[in-house]
Amino acid sequence: MVELEIQVFSDRREGLLVELGRVVVANHFSLVRQRLTQDRRGAYLSMLVRGPDEQRFALEEMLGTHSRVLSFEAALAGETAVICAKPTSASAMPLAEPVAVPELPGAVMPDVLQVEHILPKLAQDYPQIYPWLVALENSVAESVRESSLMLAGRRTGAWVYKRDYALGAKLGLADAIKRIAVPALRQLAEIEQHGVHVHILNSPLCTPGMHSGCKFYGGYLEGLLSGSIAPGKVFVRHLGCRGNGAALCSLEISH
Amino acid sequence: MSMQLNYNWLLVLLSYAVSVLGSFTALQLAVAIPLAATQRQKTAAVVMAGGAMGLGAIWAMHFIAMLACDNGMDVSYDASLTALSALVAFAACVAGLMLVGSGRFDWLRLLAAGICMGLGVAAMHYIGMAAMMMPAKISYASGLVALSVVIAMVASTVALWLAFNLRGPLQMIGSALVMGVAVCGMHYTGMAAASFEDNGGQLPDGYAEGLRGGNLGLTIFVVVTILLVLMLVLHYWRQRYRSSISI
Repeated sequence: MVELEIQVFSDRREGLLVELGRVVVANHFSLVRQRLTQDRRGAYLSMLVRGPDEQRFALEEMLGTHSRVLSFEAALAGETAVICAKPTSASAMPLAEPVAVPELPGAVMPDVLQVEHILPKLAQDYPQIYPWLVALENSVAESVRESSLMLAGRRTGAWVYKRDYALGAKLGLADAIKRIAVPALRQLAEIEQHGVHVHILNSPLCTPGMHSGCKFYGGYLEGLLSGSIAPGKVFVRHLGCRGNGAALCSLEISH
Repeated sequence: MSMQLNYNWLLVLLSYAVSVLGSFTALQLAVAIPLAATQRQKTAAVVMAGGAMGLGAIWAMHFIAMLACDNGMDVSYDASLTALSALVAFAACVAGLMLVGSGRFDWLRLLAAGICMGLGVAAMHYIGMAAMMMPAKISYASGLVALSVVIAMVASTVALWLAFNLRGPLQMIGSALVMGVAVCGMHYTGMAAASFEDNGGQLPDGYAEGLRGGNLGLTIFVVVTILLVLMLVLHYWRQRYRSSISI
């Protein structure tokens, strides 16, 4: 048996403990104690769990790739934590009180407050959401623009998935792209899809001088597809953007 | 002497409509199986979907189709075999939907579920036929019997694939229409395989106590009403759920 100290950062606290608690229990660990705090940037969950040594890495893998987890660290109780940040610019550790958390190198935190403010409007007017996205783009600091749009995209994608595409079996990545991502994205923009590559032809977010870098679409696809495929973590790589002079915006989806 | 079968085409169409209605309700319940958070929710979804499919799409369809078929003699149905046919259809559908509804989609699981449900449709039909009591003997053309079973298995597999792997209108409507084809295609092919030979007016034991068209009509009415109510409740619940999802 081992005891692990796990610290997780998520964009919101609702249901976080329940969802991650299920992962803990599914890996035959038990929750010894937990603490959930929130600040303007998001929710911070600290857990002490106990369970079989052989399940440790499986648990860390599942928590580290969970769709609710923006960043994650785990260590044996009493040892120094190992930080496992997700490979997205939205990954970040908050400076939540009272627990001192090390800042991740190179991580850019989204402006969760602004994103939370805009989300109900996105839901209300979906799919006519570009005015709100432009408003979000203009309301956040330049340094957090991309990560904020990505977070808004991820939340919107996850919402659309739950609303319109959740019924049915988990799919492979190729099928999920074809049957979920493409029709969902077509509600927002004119697109072309070739295998795991998606090209957005006329995004109003990506005109020259606007530097969101298609981050909203990347987050949107991640949120949309993470719930629909098995295993459940999807990554979107930004290959090119009209805002940066490319002929069209290109995204590559992998898992 | 072999007897000619005559069909009431309105009832034939009604049998397909009931089959599609049952399939639609069942598959709409079934596609929620992978979302069940607890074993209890999963069991409830599987049992309700199996009930709608087994009793609505298959059993009720079969007996409407039997009422549509006139072979020129009074028929009654053995109550225990009729009940057994319903139970077999229900059990096969529960097993098939449980198979295809759990875990990630894969072809082996789909095939097993399609075979299970196809065999359930066929078993229900032939047990239902065995329940017929009349002054005639039934014999079957084995080639057409085999074809009826293959139709049931193939069409069930296609319907399950549509239901679990597609999204949107084709998932909802297409799967129900194809499942209706599975059930009706099997049934009417099975009926084409059957020959009724007059046995000289000898009635089987228990003929008088058997279920008649009136009993069956009432039972079918109850089953179809339950299906409709279930579908309306499901639709209402889905609408509420959809609007309650927070972003």
